[in-house]
Amino acid sequence: MNTLSEKRSDMNGLKALRGIAVVTLALLALSCSKSFLKPEPKSFFTPENVFVDKQGFETLLITMRKDLNREQTAQKNFMAHQWAASEAGVPWLQMDFTRLTPNTDTYQQFVNQINDIFQMVRNANTIISRIDDIAWGDEADRNHVLAEALWHRSYWYYRLIGSYGDLPFVQEEVRGAKIDFYTHSRWAILNKIQTDMEFVVQWMPVSTAPGVPSRGAADHLLTKIYLANMEFEKAVESAGRVIDGPYALMTGRFGQDAADPAKNVIWDLHRPDNKNLPQNTETILAFVDRWEAPPEARSAGLFTMRVYNCAWYNSANAKDKDGKLGMIDSGPLYDSLGRGNPDVALSDYHSYMIWEDDRYDYRSTPDLRRADINWWDREELFYNNPASSQYGQPFDPQNMDNPDEYWARIYAMPFYKTYVPNKPDQMGQPYGSNGDWYIFRLAETLLLRAEAYYWLGRLDLAAHDINAVRTRAKATPISAEDVTLEFIFDERARELFAEEPRQNELNRVSYILAARNERGYSLENLHQKNWFYDRVRSLNNFYDHYNDLIMLGQSPRIEPYHFQWPIDDNIITANTLGRINQNKGYVGAENNVPPLETVEEGH
Amino acid sequence: MKKKHGIVMLLNMVMLWVVGETSGAPTGVTGPLPAGTSQATSQLPLTGTVKNSQEVPLEGVSVYIKDTDVGTATDAEGRFVFEEIDPGATLVFRSMGYKTVDMQVAGRSVLEVVMEADVSGLDEVIVVGYGVAKKSDLTGAVHRVDATHFRDQSLTQLTDMLAGTVAGFQANQGTTAAGGTSMEIRGVNSINASTSPMVVLDGVIYNGSINDINPNDIESVDILKDASSAAVYGARAANGVILVTTKRGASGKPTINVSVKQGLSQATSTEYAARGPQAYVDFRRDFLRTLGGPHPDYYFHNPRELPAEVSIDDWRSASNNPNPDDVQEWLSRLNFFPLELNNYLNGQTVNWVDEVMQTGHRQEYDVSMDGGSTNTNYFWSLGYLDNEGIILGDRHGNIRSRLNLDTRVNGWLRAGLNAQYAYRDQSAVPASLGNLSMVSPFSTLYEEDGTINFYPHGYLTPNPLINTLGQARDYTVQGLFASIYAEVKLPFGISYRLSFQPRSALTKDYNFWSTETITGRETYNNGYATRQDNSSFEWMVDNLLKWNRTFGVHGFDVTLLYNAEQFKSWGSEMGNQSFQPSPTLGYGGLQYGNNPFLNTNDIQYTGDGFMARINYTLMDKYLITGSIRRDGFSGFGQENPYAVFPAAAVAWQVHREGFFDVDFVDQLKLRASWGRNGNRDIGPYASFARMQSVQYYDGSNALVGIYASNLANPGLSWEETESLNFGADLTFFNNRLNITVDYYDAQTNRLLVERSLPTITGFSSVTANIGALANEGFEFTLSSLNVQRPNLTWRSTLNFSFNRNRITSLFGEHGTYTLESQTYTGEVPDFSNQWFIGKPLDVVWDYNILGVWQAEEAEAAAQYGLKPGDYKVEDLDGNMVYEALQDKQFIGYKSPRYMIGLRNEFDFLRHFSASIFLRADLGHIRAFSPLVADFSTYDRRSTPNFPYWTPENRSNDFPRLSRNVSGFGGGIVPYKATGFFRVQDVTFSYTLPSRLMQKAGIDHARLALSGRNIFTISDWPGWDPESGDQPMPKVYTLGLNFSL
Repeated sequence: MNTLSEKRSDMNGLKALRGIAVVTLALLALSCSKSFLKPEPKSFFTPENVFVDKQGFETLLITMRKDLNREQTAQKNFMAHQWAASEAGVPWLQMDFTRLTPNTDTYQQFVNQINDIFQMVRNANTIISRIDDIAWGDEADRNHVLAEALWHRSYWYYRLIGSYGDLPFVQEEVRGAKIDFYTHSRWAILNKIQTDMEFVVQWMPVSTAPGVPSRGAADHLLTKIYLANMEFEKAVESAGRVIDGPYALMTGRFGQDAADPAKNVIWDLHRPDNKNLPQNTETILAFVDRWEAPPEARSAGLFTMRVYNCAWYNSANAKDKDGKLGMIDSGPLYDSLGRGNPDVALSDYHSYMIWEDDRYDYRSTPDLRRADINWWDREELFYNNPASSQYGQPFDPQNMDNPDEYWARIYAMPFYKTYVPNKPDQMGQPYGSNGDWYIFRLAETLLLRAEAYYWLGRLDLAAHDINAVRTRAKATPISAEDVTLEFIFDERARELFAEEPRQNELNRVSYILAARNERGYSLENLHQKNWFYDRVRSLNNFYDHYNDLIMLGQSPRIEPYHFQWPIDDNIITANTLGRINQNKGYVGAENNVPPLETVEEGH
Repeated sequence: MKKKHGIVMLLNMVMLWVVGETSGAPTGVTGPLPAGTSQATSQLPLTGTVKNSQEVPLEGVSVYIKDTDVGTATDAEGRFVFEEIDPGATLVFRSMGYKTVDMQVAGRSVLEVVMEADVSGLDEVIVVGYGVAKKSDLTGAVHRVDATHFRDQSLTQLTDMLAGTVAGFQANQGTTAAGGTSMEIRGVNSINASTSPMVVLDGVIYNGSINDINPNDIESVDILKDASSAAVYGARAANGVILVTTKRGASGKPTINVSVKQGLSQATSTEYAARGPQAYVDFRRDFLRTLGGPHPDYYFHNPRELPAEVSIDDWRSASNNPNPDDVQEWLSRLNFFPLELNNYLNGQTVNWVDEVMQTGHRQEYDVSMDGGSTNTNYFWSLGYLDNEGIILGDRHGNIRSRLNLDTRVNGWLRAGLNAQYAYRDQSAVPASLGNLSMVSPFSTLYEEDGTINFYPHGYLTPNPLINTLGQARDYTVQGLFASIYAEVKLPFGISYRLSFQPRSALTKDYNFWSTETITGRETYNNGYATRQDNSSFEWMVDNLLKWNRTFGVHGFDVTLLYNAEQFKSWGSEMGNQSFQPSPTLGYGGLQYGNNPFLNTNDIQYTGDGFMARINYTLMDKYLITGSIRRDGFSGFGQENPYAVFPAAAVAWQVHREGFFDVDFVDQLKLRASWGRNGNRDIGPYASFARMQSVQYYDGSNALVGIYASNLANPGLSWEETESLNFGADLTFFNNRLNITVDYYDAQTNRLLVERSLPTITGFSSVTANIGALANEGFEFTLSSLNVQRPNLTWRSTLNFSFNRNRITSLFGEHGTYTLESQTYTGEVPDFSNQWFIGKPLDVVWDYNILGVWQAEEAEAAAQYGLKPGDYKVEDLDGNMVYEALQDKQFIGYKSPRYMIGLRNEFDFLRHFSASIFLRADLGHIRAFSPLVADFSTYDRRSTPNFPYWTPENRSNDFPRLSRNVSGFGGGIVPYKATGFFRVQDVTFSYTLPSRLMQKAGIDHARLALSGRNIFTISDWPGWDPESGDQPMPKVYTLGLNFSL
């Protein structure tokens, strides 16, 4: 046997093995160094490396400012829902509110928007909870950042309780699986955000860049909160700080169309390009959304023409006398009015009733807000199909398949607010392009103070504020005895269409009247009897047509409990260790427990 | 860290001890001398023939010299040749389906070998974790798939071999040209982490794409199903392990193998795809008339087909202003767009199914070369595949090459390389199936100027072909993977193997949407282009120390492992739009746009592992395995970076006991195993709170904002699956019938779950370790040799399995809750995710649909706010309101309840063979959402071709088109049975007579015809019961294979 060669090969093997063992040891030592299993984030930030200086906090504030555009951008925007649930309109694709349940909102976002809004609350809470994680060189820097975060949280909570009533008040950044929430009453939330905002107004800067909340925006928001919380004297004060501040109603022509004599100041006021102009002294806060922004930085667009204009080009509506299509979705008329869906079909209340008084109707009123040049009335529609024998002639509703539905399908359009045509280099359907939009405007501050005066019984002062708004619009001034809650809300509808969160404001008053036990309302049975419902049901003509208007299988119907929208069932079911209340009237409310009446101070 | 150092030290001490001990031993270490090193002078040539017991020559039998890698294979006539061989050597003959034969050369120059059929495969060498084992020595549940069954089919990926063919392995065939199959071993072991098995390629962990492994290179696939077999892979083994073994060269003359396959593929059925012209008009009419508008029922009827009692004047006067032309009036009532109306009047229709679907041509070319000298064996292959899918624009191409090299440097050192390179072209932009079903047949495909019509019937539905025709895409992936190893033989039966596995991948996905696309003209303007590049590099090191010794009746086999790995990837994305002066340059000219964006994403993770395993055999009757592994992974919360995974198994060869005396039983083995495995597959950064960025423009500057997109969980840890397996292997009747049965019971703890949170937190979920999930199941495999005659061999393999899954706990939160109208106290379910304690993960909790309300039941329906044609649903508590918690029920399961596969193989008339594989997945249901999908636009578009209820054409299964589902609390989803039986593959092949071939210089040639998915039985109303909402290809392949 070859023992010798075998032994030699063994010896070689041993040498080699020693070599390998050394290599292995080296590898092991390398891989066993302390850092080997330490995870290394490469392309994302974590809170630990963001909130280390002022810059980190401010970067989060940018996100919050951008989120304000959710109010009126993209098709299912928040503001559209506010007007679809009001005297001024109905959700055309889903007119039967009894079909709205805690788990389905079909084509609308009455249920789902709460999930988006709470992300904005989360962003604010991230700053609020971490504000003292770093040592601030200057206490003022800390307070500026904290004040803006609190402003955003208060803004969205004001919107939330307006839409949904009682809700848990989340006041801290959630850092783990928290599933034991309980509902706070809206009064408790109001107390909390009122306190927060009283801090905020001290720290917000007077002057800010476009889209950034200022001290004026804080006082304006605080006014709304005071009103909702029935602190009317304080509301007068805070509104007064805005009115006496660096703001003034626009009375003269300005901005992009200033040279066009056919237009007027109301037209100028509502051009998106004019809202954040330095000479526009009426703007308190308007979000910024521009077509020329990088694609990732802009929204889907304002969608005002899609959401609020009627579907005049639809074949059921658009027939000429020959029974052929007379109005079509192309050409200049289409580019100007856009492709109305509509998501909010406007009622006679908004188009006609509020413009009528003893002397005037919508045609004769001197009110610029209903000036012919500012509206596209249905009488102004014309056959725009060059192939039609009636090309260029006025639209005749008698040519419709069903003229009985003319009132619902074709309505006057508030062109001065909805007109946002595609930009020259923008293709695609005309829905309402990108543009800036008001969040707060001085005209509303005046109407808020007027309302505060109303509650305080100082009707002369109320009339004075209302007339400031009216005279600018060339409407006839009113006298103290004309001031009623109804008049104030009509005036708000005239002035603030698609700007104020209408349902929220109506509900604010519903709660005040119930809390004061006025007009037979009370907090105990608010979901069965409330001012919102009584007003919407009696003023919105759609709801008279339950038996003769059907759209997508639904007819217009609303009940008192619809003054607040249902809380997403998923929120309630995921909260397994606590109890989040459902709004009364909706399935699930039978499991409610009494809401917490105070918000405990956090950390 | 201290502990870890300890183990490293220990391992190295063991190694050093081995070294020291050996060097200390002066002489006397003897071991079997590898035959390859014998002196050449004593060697002689040898030839031989291998036949079966019916005297039929056996092709492809591997013949090698015992204890070496020197070997060859028989040709079509069963012949083999060794140019020179040690006269004292022993030859081993192995072939699938036959008992292995050991034969001593004993100085002969010609050998006649007869191999006996054996369906049990007990002599087969099965690949197990970090080693191989004879099947008869296994203690766990391991299943082998032999790739030769599939050699005549056109397979895109190796997973095509596995769908339906392995008991306990659930897989659904992919439908696209790229193939790709979902895989699941023994049920779902995780709620949110991946449930795909890990892949081990030629003995090393493989993290690359399965697509990069050419199925033609595969020798066999072994599947580790039970915990004990897989536990050597610890933290990644909970979903089972697939071990892929590729072909290797044998010593002897080089063989070149060429294979050409040409195939055609078509959808198994296109019936569901779209509604034709008449069905479309009927659909529109039936939608509008049941919508509940103010019109009489006949308002939407074709004026030429009015009900008898309705006059044309009635019909006309139903509209206030009818068009003078009845047809135009009618189409206007049906909401036809002007374009549609013109096309209707001109009799112009588009058959969208023909436009969108195609007969795909598949071609596959493979060449491989293998051979070897005394010290080196090689296998090299190159394959090219070009598949066209069944949808226009769907195409997949790849080039795959593999080199396997093994060299014996000398008697104690072996080294080698297994390397694969793959280039994939995934640039496909398939036509849109969704738009195919929604677009009107009365469409115009192109504008008059020849450009594509974006909205072929007026509005709303984009042209299904837009992106296929107008988008340019270059999406390619290159992958290089290698395993480089050296193995040293040491005294005492110890061997040490060091291997290093680098893997790199380069992906680029470049896209350009021209102005002939909606994206390039409307969403963005004047063109839009993006470029994504991703590269990754990963390395892994395995140190393996093995010891194998037998002392009398005691056999020991010990394996020790240290493994470390690191992965890094770098992703970049950029894009631009609005190109000036024109978008002609596409994604090659990004700098000409005016609004660039960029995005980067880099990832890194690391892991390491130690493993020790011992196999102990006593008297060849009692087999015991024990193993333990500790794994570390950077992706978990730093509170828990390590975990330990133990396992143990025993087997008892009962038939070797003296008392066992049953004539017809050849083998009876009982097995039991237990083990714990992990799952770490939830992404490397799941434990972090990550901040995402948003872009903002303040009117003059572009700014970046951030926000927290998810919650941190520093305590995040492995998911652990602990399972028991009991099995038996039985062989009867002279190895002609083999049965394997296994029962398993697994419990997964600390599940990695996206736990639902109330969204008022700002987050919808958090990744957490919670709860437990149980799986138990039964697997049965039967192999039999039914007929063995000179002119006919018939083999069958039947597999049957089922898995029962159960959530045993969730969040551990107790309370009172309502379910199916009952009040329960106990651990609360997760209603948001529909997870219920004691129920399977795939249970369906929804309304029990009893049927559809018919006209005479209008009053009863109205009590629920419903109308005839709406769903009639069981109201459990009878309160006339449908509430989720009260009225939803458990109505079925989404995964198959039983899975059956049956393969029959025939060899006949010497040259012919055939096989047929039948598959059935039974007892499950699947959501059929078109029946409740968004319908607000049914008045302006079409839908897939599903049936529906009308007052005349009643149905109890399908509701009316304008059905009302808003009253069903929590929503309602209809489910339909999706069980199926299908003839999944059929192959027929003919081996050309070798005498003929050899004249042409060809060793061997085979022609084959195969078909896949050629016949299916199912009640599923959608595309295909297996894929659900995608069309399934039916493929015919003609193949030619020859070797030189």
